[in-house]
Amino acid sequence: MTTDMSVAIGGLRLRGPVLAASGTFGYGTEVPLLERRALGAMVSKGIFLRPREGTPPPRIAETPGGMLNAIGLQGPGADALVRDYAPKWADWDFPVLVNINGESASEYGELTARLDGVPGIAGFEVNISCPNVEQGGLYFGNDPRAAAAVTEAVRRRTKLPVWVKLTPMVSDIGVIARAVESAGADALCAINTFVGMSIDLNSYRPRLSFRTGGLSGPAIRPLAVHLAHQAARAVRIPVIGIGGIARADDALEFLVAGCSAVQVGTATFVNPKAIAEVHDGIAAFLEFRGLASLADLPRYLPRD
Amino acid sequence: MFLVDAPITGRRQVARDMFVIGMHAPEIAFAVRAGQFVNLAWSAGPLLRRPFSVYRSDGAQIEVVLKAVGEGTTQLLAMEVGEHVSCLGPLGRGFEIGPGIRTAVLISGGLGVAPMPLAARDAREAGARVIWVHGARTAAELCSEAEGDEVIWATDDGSQGEHGTAVAAAPQAEVVVACGPNRMLAAVAERWPEAQVAVETYMGCGTGVCLGCAVPRKRGGYDRACSEGPVYRAADIDWAALPSHLSYAATA
Repeated sequence: MTTDMSVAIGGLRLRGPVLAASGTFGYGTEVPLLERRALGAMVSKGIFLRPREGTPPPRIAETPGGMLNAIGLQGPGADALVRDYAPKWADWDFPVLVNINGESASEYGELTARLDGVPGIAGFEVNISCPNVEQGGLYFGNDPRAAAAVTEAVRRRTKLPVWVKLTPMVSDIGVIARAVESAGADALCAINTFVGMSIDLNSYRPRLSFRTGGLSGPAIRPLAVHLAHQAARAVRIPVIGIGGIARADDALEFLVAGCSAVQVGTATFVNPKAIAEVHDGIAAFLEFRGLASLADLPRYLPRD
Repeated sequence: MFLVDAPITGRRQVARDMFVIGMHAPEIAFAVRAGQFVNLAWSAGPLLRRPFSVYRSDGAQIEVVLKAVGEGTTQLLAMEVGEHVSCLGPLGRGFEIGPGIRTAVLISGGLGVAPMPLAARDAREAGARVIWVHGARTAAELCSEAEGDEVIWATDDGSQGEHGTAVAAAPQAEVVVACGPNRMLAAVAERWPEAQVAVETYMGCGTGVCLGCAVPRKRGGYDRACSEGPVYRAADIDWAALPSHLSYAATA
């Protein structure tokens, strides 16, 4: 029996539900030992319109079951992305979405216009949740009006799929999820990293130069499952679950909790084959349970 | 780049608290170049892999050198021969020691000795007279292995060799290769801007995607220690902006 693992999300048909999370896969060209057959889609490293240097080191700190990062969205800017990476993506057999960032709603719109229609770019993941930039980022993600304004600015400039990546740093993720849905998003990605901090007892200073960082890894998984579930309950558009997924069972928790797909992030740092192993593990689970397709997986999703 | 499930083949002590661990990783042993590193993970280990310069490679085996500086390295040192370590590598850009050089000086501090046996091998093959300059706080912390080359020892307390730093004790040479704490490498950079230095940074993935191992460049912006490094021309690094003293000393 060949299990049907395909999913339809916001205008895209993906061959599998396991996606590469932004910032953990570079531009897809650096990743070693990549098993493309298992990759549903890739979301490229977050980009701004203009090049950014990123934050000074130290940029990462390991914590129990997780890691803090403050990279600061280092990147080459939109022109270099269009020139150096998009042409490669155009030849790949899975879609690439670009994680887009801005310091204002109009900058998000301008970036979308620059990237829209470029061969190789299949859609956009609107990052309103990066904790590691001074301007924008998280600010847009914890205010429903700002979140909607950014989503609209992107929506107006493209007919490609628009996914919006939500922050967990809110008191009610459902409010933000509904605001973004109303503003025209095709799907939600839940969630980005939690803001965290760790202190170096030798220097009596934060371990990261940026003071705080985004916490990822298995440590956040139960928090992420809950928030993705809350978001899925609040909207009709698909939700893509993210947060500490390293194995198939982790991904299945998100899928049962109401997500249509998942993104694997930090696990790829540790195990370059993580995405393939999660994909194959989900297929094996479905087969073992006698389910012919991913669509037949029972879901736990009482509506609000 | 290979991902190898490598059994531990042996462990030996080379200084106080400093050990060499051997692993059976044929693909990596064959491909590795001096100054490159491997990123290790093991069951019950910490979340992220730990980077280690390859100390020696010999047929099907690679070696790394380490001290128990944190939970991860303590676990690694407690593992038995035959237990498996997940070994990703070889990673990074290593030393470039071209042919036709007359003298090569290899300066190392503490665990910074890690890439030197392979660098010495390359320098000998290039026809150079090889001089090791190895420093530590005290005699007991000096690595006892130097592959039969000439050695100048240096200790902070004067208990063996020159009294003072390895950098101060180093003679002039055509090619200078250095590895150790970043503060030491900054001193190397002042004396030999053209030296090839292997820096240490925190590392997330080791493969170029996470941008966690940022190395500040003199001309501005950041490189990735795991990809453009860990070996750099000393003058290319903005040393004042590169943190020293990691809470784990990986030497990669």
